[in-house]
Amino acid sequence: MSTSTSKSRHTTSTPARRHLALGDILSMRNVSVVLLIAYFAVFMAYPIFKAFAGSLHEWNPLTDTYNWVGLDNFAQVLTDSLFWKSIWNTAVFSFFSILFRVVIGLALAMLLTSKLVKAKDSLRGLFYMPTITPLVAVSFVWMWMFDPQFGMIDKITGLDISWLNDSKWAMPAIIIMTIWKDFGYATVLYMGGIMSLPKDVYEAVSLDGANKWQTFRSITLPLLRPTTLLIVITSLISYLQAYVQILVMTGGGPGTDTYTISYLIYDQAFQKYNFGVASAMSVILFALTGVLTLLMFKASGDNLEETR
Amino acid sequence: MKRNTIASVIVTALLFVLAAVTIIPFIWMLVSSFAPNSEIVKLTGGVFPTPSTIDNYINIQDKFNFLRLFANSLFVASLKTLLIIYISAVLGYVFSKLHFRGRNLLFGMVLATMMLPWAVTIIPQYDMMVQFGWLDTYRALIIPGLVSGFGVFLFRQSIGGISDEIIEAARLDGASDWRIFHQVVLPMSRNSIAALAIFTFLWNWEDYLWPFLMITDDDKQLLSVGLKMFSGQYGTDYGGLFAATSVAIIPVVIVYMCFQKQFIAGIATGSGK
Repeated sequence: MSTSTSKSRHTTSTPARRHLALGDILSMRNVSVVLLIAYFAVFMAYPIFKAFAGSLHEWNPLTDTYNWVGLDNFAQVLTDSLFWKSIWNTAVFSFFSILFRVVIGLALAMLLTSKLVKAKDSLRGLFYMPTITPLVAVSFVWMWMFDPQFGMIDKITGLDISWLNDSKWAMPAIIIMTIWKDFGYATVLYMGGIMSLPKDVYEAVSLDGANKWQTFRSITLPLLRPTTLLIVITSLISYLQAYVQILVMTGGGPGTDTYTISYLIYDQAFQKYNFGVASAMSVILFALTGVLTLLMFKASGDNLEETR
Repeated sequence: MKRNTIASVIVTALLFVLAAVTIIPFIWMLVSSFAPNSEIVKLTGGVFPTPSTIDNYINIQDKFNFLRLFANSLFVASLKTLLIIYISAVLGYVFSKLHFRGRNLLFGMVLATMMLPWAVTIIPQYDMMVQFGWLDTYRALIIPGLVSGFGVFLFRQSIGGISDEIIEAARLDGASDWRIFHQVVLPMSRNSIAALAIFTFLWNWEDYLWPFLMITDDDKQLLSVGLKMFSGQYGTDYGGLFAATSVAIIPVVIVYMCFQKQFIAGIATGSGK
């Protein structure tokens, strides 16, 4: 039907016009947008819908069960002490990882952009090494570094700590490894931020006789707030989802001491095949991520208003 | 003047010491990969084992068909990186320079996927791949991850910075959007391509859970999953494990070195401004 109408239109139009009409239909805009929407529907919208639906079912692919249970999965998750322990572990892990990532990243970026430092490119390349190496591989390297028998950390520091097998030290060990892995990303973003700061403001304050620390506190830090916000939010989102270092280094142990929310979901879904319960947890994680991100945007927005 | 030079030397030296501390794990790994197991687990002696052999590298190939896994990972990660860069660039152009109803809504949805935890989609997608019969194929590894919110965002920022006049001029010459994109916009996006290449290659190279779920055939398996399996099977063959991890890290370092120059500029345009 539609082909016949377009054909009749073609015959009445000039050759140039015909070319344009076909080009119009297959234009970059139309092709990309249609493909994107189709792709999005299949690989994003449907899975999200299915995750919500699945969270309301008893769902196990091994036994081929898919039975409606209403909110039972959520009730089970929210009364499970391991879930709350995992939430707490995730909070501790995320807080310290983000804090040190931001502080180390900013400090290094300030140094690496200062006029005093030479060979900036090589230094930046070295500091960035951990960030561009694969997490599974470096998790192994750190697992061995923390080994009480031959690991280099105990050998260098002279400590006798069985890091990953000690419930007091396992989480700090994972946090240390994560900070090492990730500070380079913050450093590079801060360097980008610092280099794009307006020069004239600094000339004005140096005439006012402000010292370096005052300049940093009252000018640099506030001007870098968008960069800080970007780092904190992207870090938060990725740390809420972190599981690889835990899977490799401790397997959630000792006991359940290094379970995080995403490791718990992995465990429920792909060790125990409780897809329904795992879906309920992932819906909660999704909501948590959304709320925390929005809160952070809002808090920083208010701050920006105040400083004006 | 003199005082500044001294301060400069001290600060630079201090930073090099910190940089050395940062990369010590890699050096330790590399040195250990050339040491026999007895030397690695030795209780006495220095921090670094004495390197003396390349047996570890030969052994991992014999025991584990390491090169096969390596080639598989290289193929999947490279192909996926190319596709993601191209698709991100196309969508970046569409979202920054072309106009249509619902553009902001659609872009917002693509951006929102960056916030979406893997845990939400992985179970339904796993189920979907089983239904499609895509298990044990590279289709399952490549197709579900082709639209990258980060990539689209990066290209929308950088292509948005290209002046409309250049694009209008090309359009007046009769060039279609496809042509403008390929001949004008894409060559001007080197920095974003570099930044995205580094990250995308890394993310796909290190991806663990998805290939672990999708691929069961040992000949098709990827390196990061292989590494974990290797440690499960030969947990005490530390020399072999050190050698395997060393080889797993090298390709991403090479990709990084290739693109390092453009990379910083690419990141700077993608953020904060």
